[in-house]
Amino acid sequence: MRAWRPALVLTALSVVLAGCGSADTSGTTTAASGAASAAPAGPWSFTDGSGKVVKADKTPTRIIAHAGEAAALMSFGIKPVGIYADESVKTDANLKDLDLTGIEILGQEWGKIDVEKAAALRPDLIVGDWWPAEKAHSGLEEGVDEKSKKLAELAPVVGVSQGKSIVDLAKGYEDLAKSLGAAVDSPEIAANKKRFEAAVATFKEAVAAKSGLTVAAMSPADDKVYVANPEYAPELLDFQRWGMKVINPDTPDPGFPYWENLSWENADKYQPDLILFDGRSFKPTSNADWGKKQPTWFKIKAAKAGAVVSWPAYWLHTYGHFATELDKLTAAVKAADPNIGD
Amino acid sequence: MSSSNNLARRASALGPGLAVLCVLLALVAFLSVTLGSRSIGLPEVLRALGNLDTDGSINSTVTLELRVPRTLLGILVGAALGVAGAILQGVTRNPLADAGIMGINSGAAVFVVFAVTVLGVRGAGVYVWFAFAGAIAALVLVYAIASLGREGATPIKLALAGVAVTAGLASVTTGIVMTNVETLNELRFWQVGSLAGRYAPVLTGVAPFLIVGLIASLGFGRALNGLALGEDMARGLGQQVTRTRAAAFGVVAVLAGAATAACGPIVFVGLVVPHVARFICGPDYRWILPYSMFLSPIVLLLADVLGRVVVVPDELQVGVVLGVLGAPAFVGIVRYGRLSEV
Repeated sequence: MRAWRPALVLTALSVVLAGCGSADTSGTTTAASGAASAAPAGPWSFTDGSGKVVKADKTPTRIIAHAGEAAALMSFGIKPVGIYADESVKTDANLKDLDLTGIEILGQEWGKIDVEKAAALRPDLIVGDWWPAEKAHSGLEEGVDEKSKKLAELAPVVGVSQGKSIVDLAKGYEDLAKSLGAAVDSPEIAANKKRFEAAVATFKEAVAAKSGLTVAAMSPADDKVYVANPEYAPELLDFQRWGMKVINPDTPDPGFPYWENLSWENADKYQPDLILFDGRSFKPTSNADWGKKQPTWFKIKAAKAGAVVSWPAYWLHTYGHFATELDKLTAAVKAADPNIGD
Repeated sequence: MSSSNNLARRASALGPGLAVLCVLLALVAFLSVTLGSRSIGLPEVLRALGNLDTDGSINSTVTLELRVPRTLLGILVGAALGVAGAILQGVTRNPLADAGIMGINSGAAVFVVFAVTVLGVRGAGVYVWFAFAGAIAALVLVYAIASLGREGATPIKLALAGVAVTAGLASVTTGIVMTNVETLNELRFWQVGSLAGRYAPVLTGVAPFLIVGLIASLGFGRALNGLALGEDMARGLGQQVTRTRAAAFGVVAVLAGAATAACGPIVFVGLVVPHVARFICGPDYRWILPYSMFLSPIVLLLADVLGRVVVVPDELQVGVVLGVLGAPAFVGIVRYGRLSEV
């Protein structure tokens, strides 16, 4: 179990790291590689998610970024020279609608980065989220190819922390883009922020109207059920902050604290009124499929009642995308019965 | 002849010994149904067993739909692995022979990978059949390669062919998995042997093969005794060596193939238990086979029960428990027990 689980979750996590949607970036990619000309001369510095201050004599212009982080930067008009993704850039949620011409694709699978190609790009900055639980940047976590890790030797690595809030994450990439010379006051960006604020307001309202509603973020698998630990899932912490009662599991896996692992015998340990189902594997038929496959999945009353909604797990990076996802959750909260799990 | 007196005396004790093992197996099976990662009171377990129909409570579902099939599968798979190991060790006269070095695990894995990548098949229930076919195909291949040449499938050629086929198939699997992370995720179900997440459909799917194979295996005692004397001696005694060997391999293919397909590669049982049986019974395969058949499921179920109660509410796979406990146990047997020659 131990041997593969981190890889699984890491894979899954990084597949969705790439969260920034096309809605946030449409129209801004025309800035192309204009970042170079717009960049201030330097010296440049940025405080990494790990707390370390990364400095350079000149403001970086040749950036290699992980998929979602690249999309976040592109939404501010910073075009990277190279991208490494965790799946095909044609299907990656963040990248599929972006114009990637002129950007070198350095990897389309989790844990695999073509470092030789990356070196040929002569990067002066690498951008990947900082994962506090693993103390590593995206693409450099435990379990990736040893060869891929050499990416970190090409240039300084910075990233915003997957910390306590998606709002901090979005703000962090805005700051990073700003430090790299981007103008962050375009009308689209302002509109997305506004949309986000409105989404938060209606979300809070809906949650307040269902005061008894409890939710749990879950991910079923062939041999056990995983219950997410909000402490390491910034969007779940945001939901809690906005009044949603997201269940904190009692005993997260000490080696990989993103989850508490429940054997299928214990699938009913928590009885939420609404299940936030891991969005990375969620399909409309998922709930019924697991009910058929696992005799105890429907012993979770919310699952039996079909009170299941996709949870944007570990991938949100921008206000725009968060707003879209929040609206879906608000609808689910409004439709939920706060007495199912009691 | 004193040695035949010895054997007779031994046999008179071995019969009742088998009865004791039978009782022990029943006890362990009882433990396996009553203990687990979920604590269910004994009366409730008994009530569920008495009704033989789930009354809708999770405790009865866990007992009847999770633990009973798991236990039955554990008994059949354990017995199959032990007997397959004993036969392989006898036929190849190789004390280290087990299903793993005859290419069975690698054959199963390569077929599952093929199913996922080429045929686009998904779902544990379907993989069982591919794994089964792969295990049998690998074993047939090993036997065919070893049979080349005038002297037929000699023990040394079988061992070498097994190692070669295993290495060849493993490299194919690795090659594909390296370039396709999704396949890796699907294959994980087989990486560590486990009894978790296998329910009635898996049990009823493989049970007929296992039961038929187990019954057939008991007829090989005399033939294996002959082979143990060496090929020439066996021929001198009127044995059809080639035919015996082919038939024995057929039975092993069915037993180990079905077991591996159902539960993934489970280590140590097939390797170590036959040695324990030989230690108890002496060199007579007419006893070694039934002893292996009863000892193996006892070991497997005990390890599984242990794995289910040590990390509640999580579970450890039986493969992990066996690996951790099996290695020192084997060292102990080698060091302190006088192992009988194969």
